[in-house]
Amino acid sequence: MAGGWSHRHLLDLQSLSPDELRAILFLARDYAPIADRADAHSDELRGKVVANLFFEDSTRTRVSFSVAARRLSADVVDLMGPGSSASKGESIGDTALNIAALGVDLIVVRHKASGAAANLANIVTCGVVNAGDGRHEHPTQGLLDTYTLAEAAGRLDTFDMSGLTMAIVGDLATSRVARSNIAALTKLGARVICVGPPGLCPRSLRTLGAADGSCEVSHDLDAVIAHADAVNVLRIQFERHAPGVPAAEAAAAARSGESPGPARTGGAVSSGREYRELYGLTAERAARMKPAAVVMHPGPINKGLEMDASVADGARSVILRQVSRGVAVRMAVLRLCAAAATA
Amino acid sequence: MTSVLIKGGRVIDPHSGTDRVADVLLDGGRIVSMGARGVGRVGPASGTRVIDADGCIVAPGLIDPHVHLRQPGREEAETIATGTAAAVAGGFTTVCCMPNTTPVLDNDSMIGAIAHASRESGVCRVFAVGAVTKGRRGEELAEIALMARAGAVGFSDDGDCVASAGVMARALAAVRATGRAFMQHCQEPTLTRGASMHAGSVATRLGLGGWPREAEEIIIDRDVRLNRSIGCAYHVQHVSSGGSVEIVRRARREGQPVSAEAAPHHLLLTHELVDSHGGYWTSAKMNPPLREAPDVRAIVEGVADGTVGVLATDHAPHTAEAKGLPFEDAPFGIIGLETAVPLYVEALITSGAIGWPRLIELLTWAPAKLCGLDSQGLGHLTVGGPADVTIIDPNLEWTIADSDLAGRSRNTPFVGRRVRGRSITTIVAGSVRHEQARC
Repeated sequence: MAGGWSHRHLLDLQSLSPDELRAILFLARDYAPIADRADAHSDELRGKVVANLFFEDSTRTRVSFSVAARRLSADVVDLMGPGSSASKGESIGDTALNIAALGVDLIVVRHKASGAAANLANIVTCGVVNAGDGRHEHPTQGLLDTYTLAEAAGRLDTFDMSGLTMAIVGDLATSRVARSNIAALTKLGARVICVGPPGLCPRSLRTLGAADGSCEVSHDLDAVIAHADAVNVLRIQFERHAPGVPAAEAAAAARSGESPGPARTGGAVSSGREYRELYGLTAERAARMKPAAVVMHPGPINKGLEMDASVADGARSVILRQVSRGVAVRMAVLRLCAAAATA
Repeated sequence: MTSVLIKGGRVIDPHSGTDRVADVLLDGGRIVSMGARGVGRVGPASGTRVIDADGCIVAPGLIDPHVHLRQPGREEAETIATGTAAAVAGGFTTVCCMPNTTPVLDNDSMIGAIAHASRESGVCRVFAVGAVTKGRRGEELAEIALMARAGAVGFSDDGDCVASAGVMARALAAVRATGRAFMQHCQEPTLTRGASMHAGSVATRLGLGGWPREAEEIIIDRDVRLNRSIGCAYHVQHVSSGGSVEIVRRARREGQPVSAEAAPHHLLLTHELVDSHGGYWTSAKMNPPLREAPDVRAIVEGVADGTVGVLATDHAPHTAEAKGLPFEDAPFGIIGLETAVPLYVEALITSGAIGWPRLIELLTWAPAKLCGLDSQGLGHLTVGGPADVTIIDPNLEWTIADSDLAGRSRNTPFVGRRVRGRSITTIVAGSVRHEQARC
């Protein structure tokens, strides 16, 4: 067993030590060769049941967890919000207790409320893996982003990230991806610069760095772009700023240059045009990045708004590698948590 | 009704300035005599119940001007019967219930219904605070004058702020005409949308929407300014920020009719508590939220210098099911009646901010004046007046346990806390409604 891991839950990265982060990342490195291959798998979780309990829409994260579980020979059950008992007024805790009573070993949960995963972990006896809780954390995304940067920078041997800088650009205020990235990267020695308009990227984010000065806030992407080893662009989460407005509609309006308006973004973005002008990762901006620097995005992308299509599909982009490393990281997380839950 | 003789206690009645060892004789629901020690020994009539109050404080019955009894509409969390049981367990003989029930207490017949239900099932006195606006929607004024005539002791949209300045100006004028107090829940709603705890480092870390101090402070600032030409008795509910205390202090210094109350949790706890007990602890989720240590100090100082002149628990019962939801989905509020006295002692007396006579005043005469209950003889001890008496053992040390909670809900962060001071006998209208063994 990889050293230093004893938790049956993975709820956040903020409370993990650098050694615990590395325990996951080293195991993910071991799994990477089989993560991308449909014909290869391991038997390590044979007989285990992993339940995907997603109260919020998600395709890629849920599928990634399913693929990871199957690569380890676990059985996977998918429980979606609509159509399940969650849509009939049952509380998250009761739903989880019922699922746990079916003999599930691990619950992978996504929920719109910050703290929902911790709430669940207090209720059930099986392991809980947080697949995104509100604005709090998305730990496996933080780990796979860290892994992808380490790979691009040649740090897979130690996962010592010192000397590296990641710029996280866009909607950080409501981003669980940002919180998990900041926690993992700064604990492993990297520097994070949060970049975005004041309404989406408040100065208070500086307090999230593991060490003083390890997390900075800037409202000037052009001043930052040439210093980053990775630019991790986040999606503007219209649905979190303006509940009730369909995200696709708001994004389309913003992309067309039309003002999304205060009702659509809660006033955080005055127009798509202004946002793209100041914070969009355009081809021109991408050209000013360090020679070896990479472009990342957790997806789904509002192409043409936060990032040009030519950048997303261009030579610097490691966006698809993030997806495949996501499977390896999730295999490692499931393996470690399942072992601790059984112990 | 049997008569009761309370012997040998330290009688503190702030209104009359009394603070001496004396015997108090109650009969027929009234105070019959208060005399020097030993007077009662001569001739208690047979059948008189004698309570030894040696080493204890004998005070007017405590009054909490801000509680939620949840009846009607949320009887699974609390009722008038269970909420008043919690009150007498904590030493309170009178509570004023807020109007955010379902339906809302926004007309005279609802005020009458609360009075009726309290006579039927209450074990202490209950007075209702009426809503300021219909349905507490902040748009149209409720029947303020009729509610006052029906016995409403104040007006508030508690749980929500009267946010519109235009509505507020009309409401202050209407409430002033009744002679009652306007009790404002100070929360600028556009600054707190999606917020579930204090806007600070803990909220940033936990990914929770932050609730800034300014949401409270700018409403107080605005209301004080609006009220200058109106002159209504304006009362700030559950003050949570140091800045708010300063605004109230300045207004009072100018002679404005402004008062403020503080709750036990805002006198003792800070926002870090949310990230304890496994994280996202819903027993630390309240409205307004727990803030930071300098805020706590400022509120205690406000009590010490008289700026904050009333204490109120904001007793807010919720079921375990509701408080068991994820933090953002769980309701705001904690219960407070059963645990209030020792917590006030810890925050205000043990800290050296005030002494016992002042604490008793903040719990009796001050809320009685706020709610106009002094005219009914409540909040002070007078021969011939109502026999509402609370006997407190100031030195009793105890650990708050689940079994000490007498109401229907258990949502409090204080279970397990080692405390000092406890009300041991609660007497309402001459009848002993609660007794606590002194060991």
